[in-house]
Order: sequence, then C-alpha cells, then structure tokens
Amino acid sequence: MNKLKLIIQHEYMTMVGKKSFIIMTLLIPFLILIVGSIPVLMAYINSSADTSVTRIAVIDESGNYGNAFKNSPNYRFMIMQGDKAFNAHEFYKNAGESIDAVIVIPADVLDNQQATIYSENTIDQGTISMLTRCLNDTLARAKIASFNDPDLESKIKQSQVNAEVKSIKWDEKGDEQEQSAQFASILGMVLSFFIYTFVLSYGAMIMNSVVEEKTNRIVEVIVSSCKPMELMMGKIIGVGLVGLTQFAIWAVLLGIGYIVLGLVAGGTIAATNPEAITAGMNLSGGTDMASGALHDIMTALASINWLSLLGNFVLYFIGGYLLYASLFAGFGSAVDQASDSSQFTLPIIIIMMVALYAGIACIENPSGPMAVWCSIIPFTSPVVMMVRLPFDVPWWQLLLSIVLLYATALGCIWISSRIYRTGILLYGKKRSFKEVLRWIK
Amino acid sequence: MNFIDVNQAVKQYDGHLALDHVDLHVPQGCIYGLLGPNGAGKTTLIRIINRITRPDSGTVMINGQPLKDKDIANIGYLPEERGLYKKIKVADQIVYLARLKGMPKPLAITEMEKWLKRFDLTEWRNRKVEELSKGMQQKVQFITTVIHRPQLLIFDEPFSGFDPVNAEQLKREIIQLRNEGSTILFSTHNMASVEEICEKITLINHSRVVLEGNVADIKQQHKKNLFVVNVANGKKIETHEQLFEVVPSQEHEGSLIKLCPGANLRDTITWLNENYTLTGITEQLPSMNEIFIDTVQGKC
Repeated sequence: MNKLKLIIQHEYMTMVGKKSFIIMTLLIPFLILIVGSIPVLMAYINSSADTSVTRIAVIDESGNYGNAFKNSPNYRFMIMQGDKAFNAHEFYKNAGESIDAVIVIPADVLDNQQATIYSENTIDQGTISMLTRCLNDTLARAKIASFNDPDLESKIKQSQVNAEVKSIKWDEKGDEQEQSAQFASILGMVLSFFIYTFVLSYGAMIMNSVVEEKTNRIVEVIVSSCKPMELMMGKIIGVGLVGLTQFAIWAVLLGIGYIVLGLVAGGTIAATNPEAITAGMNLSGGTDMASGALHDIMTALASINWLSLLGNFVLYFIGGYLLYASLFAGFGSAVDQASDSSQFTLPIIIIMMVALYAGIACIENPSGPMAVWCSIIPFTSPVVMMVRLPFDVPWWQLLLSIVLLYATALGCIWISSRIYRTGILLYGKKRSFKEVLRWIK
Repeated sequence: MNFIDVNQAVKQYDGHLALDHVDLHVPQGCIYGLLGPNGAGKTTLIRIINRITRPDSGTVMINGQPLKDKDIANIGYLPEERGLYKKIKVADQIVYLARLKGMPKPLAITEMEKWLKRFDLTEWRNRKVEELSKGMQQKVQFITTVIHRPQLLIFDEPFSGFDPVNAEQLKREIIQLRNEGSTILFSTHNMASVEEICEKITLINHSRVVLEGNVADIKQQHKKNLFVVNVANGKKIETHEQLFEVVPSQEHEGSLIKLCPGANLRDTITWLNENYTLTGITEQLPSMNEIFIDTVQGKC
C-alpha cells in the first residue's frame, strides 16, 4: 500500500511539475475567456468603430413608400420621385461619389413585394436586411390600411400571441418549483462533455506514460521493486488526481476571469451602446428579455438538486475514468511506440464517441428508451447519464447503472492488469489484438 | 550455504520453452557468472529470481526460504537494457527508486549523497538524466541498483557502455560489495570479466544448463594438453611422433606443443631435456571464451 502511495505521489508530482502541464493549465482558461469574449468584443468594436455612412437614393415610383426609410447614423436616404422611364444607372453615374446605391421601389410593390437595389459596389447583407425590414413594415401597414378598417391594426396586434409552456415541478409535499428544461439540458451536456474530454485526454496521457516507461526500459527496474498492478494503479490514480487538479485550477481561474471580465467589459460596454452588444450577440430583444432570462436561470439553478447532481457526477466521473484509463494503460503496454497504438485506441475512441453522440441525441428525450439503455450500459453510462441527471432519474436505474459501471471498471482493471504485466516486458514486434487478448488468460 | 537455489525451473512463453528444468545454486558471498548466448534464457531466469515473472514449475529459494514478495527489497537489479526517467532529476530519481525498494526517505538521501560523491556526480544531482553522458547515466543506474544495500545483486551485462576507466571502477565496486557480504549474480558475454571476477559460473544454452561449476575446475576439465615450451638459444622444437606435436602459433614466445593421447608429461620433459636445454614449460589452459564457444557450438 505504501508503494502504491509512493507511485501515485511520483506520478502526480512528475506530471504537475512538467512545463507543458503548467502552460496548458494557465493557457486554456485564458483561451476560453478570449474565445468566449470574442462576440462581445466584436460587437463592441463594430458598434464603436463603424462610423461609415452609406448613402442610398430611393426611387419611389408610386410616391407612397419613400418614407419607409429613416436616416440613421450609418445610413442616409435621398427620397426621389420617379417612374418607369427613370434611368437609375444614369442617375447613379451622374451622382458620382455622393451616392453609394440606388433602391428602386416599383409602383406595384404592394402586389409583387419586390424592390431592387443597384450599385457598382457589393451591398452588404446587413444593409439588405435593414432595407427589407423597413420595406416590410411599411408594406404591412399599407396592406392593413387597404382594408379600410380603423380597428384592424389593433386587432392584429392583439392577436399576436407568444405563449409558453411553463414547467413546474412538485416536490414530495406538493410544493411548486419552477424548472427550466433548457437550462437542465445545457447543464447535462456540459457535464457530459466534461467527462468525455477528461476521460479521452487523460486516458491518452496514461497510455503515453506507459509507453514512455516501456521505451525507456525503466519499467523493468520498477517492476523488480513493486507489482505491475501497483504500478498501473498508481499511474491511473496519480494521473487522475492531476486531471482533477487541473480542472480545479481551471474552475477557479475561469471564475475569477469571468468576474473580472464581466466587471471591466460590463462597465465599458454599458457606457457606450448596450443595444449594439445584444444585437451583436444575436440576442433578440432588449435588456428586459436578458434580465428575464437571467431570472429564469436563477430559478432553474435553484430548482436543481445540486447535492445529488454533484455526488452522482463524481461517482460517474471516477467510474468512467477508471474504466477507460485502465483500458488505455493495458493496451498501452502492448506497444513499443505511441505511434503504434492506434489499432488499440481506435475501438476505445469509437465507443467514447458513440457515447457522446448518444448523449447529444438523448437531450430531446432524456427519459426515452435510448437514453435509459445508454445510461445503464457501462461503456456509455458515464457520458449519457450526465444528460439525464439534471432531470429526475428513477433511483433503481441510477443504482443499477452505477453498480454495473463499477463492476465493469473493476473487470477492466483486472483484464488490463493481466495485459499490462505481460505487455510491459515484451519488446520488439508489433502485437495483434488477438495476441494481446491471449495474455488475459 | 547457498543464497539462491533455483530448482528445476520451467517457463514457457507462447509455445516457446524459455527455461527447461534449470537449476542454479549460488553460494552466499560469491560472484557468480550466468553465461549463455542471446536468447538462451538468462533474462527469463533473472526475472524469475526478481519476481518479475513466475516459473510455470520449479522452486526458487532465497537463504533457504521460498522466495516471497518482501524479498525483492533485498535484491538490486541492473537490467541489460538500461532505463531511467529521462526528464527527471538525478537526485529525485535515485531517491524514488530507493524508496520503492523500501528505504526511508532520509536514509535514501544520505546514501545517495555518499554514492554521488563516490562517482563524482554530486554536481549533477539536480540535472535531468537526459543531460548526462551515457557513462554518467550508467553510473546513476548503478547507484539505483546498490543504494538500498541489498544482499543479492543481479547485474545484467554491467560493463556494457562503460569506458575502460569506468569499467575498472565498476569492477572494484562490485568486488567491494562482495567483500561487504553481498552475493552477486552477473550475466554477461564478456568472458574476460568472467575470468577476472567470477568464482563460479552456470552456462545456459537453448534453455538448459549445459555447464556449471568453479571457473578453475571448468578450465581444468576443458584443458587440451597444450604446453608452451621454452628452450635455450631460441631453438625450434620438432614434433615427436609418440610424445607430442608442435602446434603452429604466433601468440607465444617459445613453442606450443600438444601432448599425444597416452603420452605423459614426465616423459616429454625428460625427452626435451635430453634433446634441448629446457628453460621453461607452462600449461596452456583454455580461456573461458574458448570454453564458451566450444560448449555452445557443441564441440565439448
């Protein structure tokens, strides 16, 4: 037991002391913050830096719709009366640089619902969208007016509905609690990705470490001092702890970064143009809706049983990691170079990917048969159950799934240790999958 | 009293018989050579004594007791394929491996300092192994093998990779360790070093023991009745049909003669004295190298 502790300590300290670990640990949160804040920054830059003005001549053949377009800081409109004989191109040429584009609104626009914009430059999508929106609004009003019903507009307004189905969860006493399915789904997916990424990247790390010891030939010295099983488990546990340390540091750094960035960016942006930011972030609606969403998230946060969620998460996290890490260690011992390992890692990676896709597919129906099966089968359960956890999972399914997961993880550790103790001492030729499986006997 | 007793060890890998009823008896405090061509089964036998692998049948006794897991703390093993963690500092590495052998940390550090000083490596203690020359890495590996003062030391080709000066130092250290009471099993192809330091040997070929015993006895058993004869005035000796024939050789000062079957040394000396002025006669024993080659090639 002392040796296991020593190996764990050695693996942990060696990995944590590596420059690559320190750099990745510090760099990743930084990158996440940068990537996360790009939309905000871009919207900010767009809104503050765009001082360009597009001048558009509006040729209004009917004389009714010229007022559809209003001047704004970035757009200037020049309304002109015209008819079919009006030569837009000649007009554009003559105007020289004082006009960027000409929009022609034909007399039958109400029936044909089509106008055309001409220019020698390419018109950007933002301008076309803005023009279309303005024209649609005006045409809609004209259509309403054509029915000669003074109340029609208000009737239409009243008939516009935006209903929602509110989800309320009863607890055992019958007390009501609002819950957000959307938030629960996102949370599940995040946890799912977390396990997927962790298991794959740290599994690969274990494999590399096993191959490295074998290539260095130090493994023979080590196994003359301890049992191969101790070395393998020491490695798995040590590397697992490194992973947990890394995630803990990330969580703290991201938390601090988020708060700092929020304060700095919030202050700057609020002082300039908040609407441009929300538009840039593709959020429809204004700050009211944003604060509504925030309220929803807060209620959703409160509706989740965090203790059970986190408890189960840790259980699946450990179980899934042990299961896959042991397989990576076992098969890693069968190769001499990391580059030869693909024939063994590919099946593991495919299973993991199936689990991830099953998880994504289960978001729509977290209680459906596929979700239930995949969250019970041990190879997919650590990933798929994460999607289901924020929703209520029957206790027997949870229990069955965890028992199966841990039993399989123990089985995999046993199988891998059999492969490992033989594999680490064999050098030279490439081993086939069949040959490696024979070592289990 | 034997320190190691391997009795009838059998080990099979994937249909290949690596050890076929092998016996090995290494006396306490002896430097014992384990010889054999590549693939003969030496490494398998060493791994069995190290408990890295188990024999399919047969027993291994250490100090009269069956070999147990706890005994590995009492064994130091220097494998043929040297290996250290390249990215780890010399001191950290030595201490880690010493602790794995059950040494408490403070003792491991004190012993390490002593050994580093002995091998002139003190100033390298905080350098990564990959920054060291091959010879220095070999020394570090040697330190990791002996630092926990094991009663049994197993060296697999200990001199490979050492220059003559360092090889000499290593030889002195090995003899010193034996003098301090360690039993040393060492596997090698270097027959000159076997003659120099081994008291007993076992030769394995094709998974079986083909020769074993005291080095001196083995040489006697394999002698070929060859003598170097020196006579006054540097005269050349002619072959005598009943007594001896002269073997052409450039290696010796004087003549190399091989006694004929049935001829005895006394008659030969008398005849030589009568016909030449005999100034010296020395028996030419076969080298371990010759014995090794002859045995492996099945000439004996």
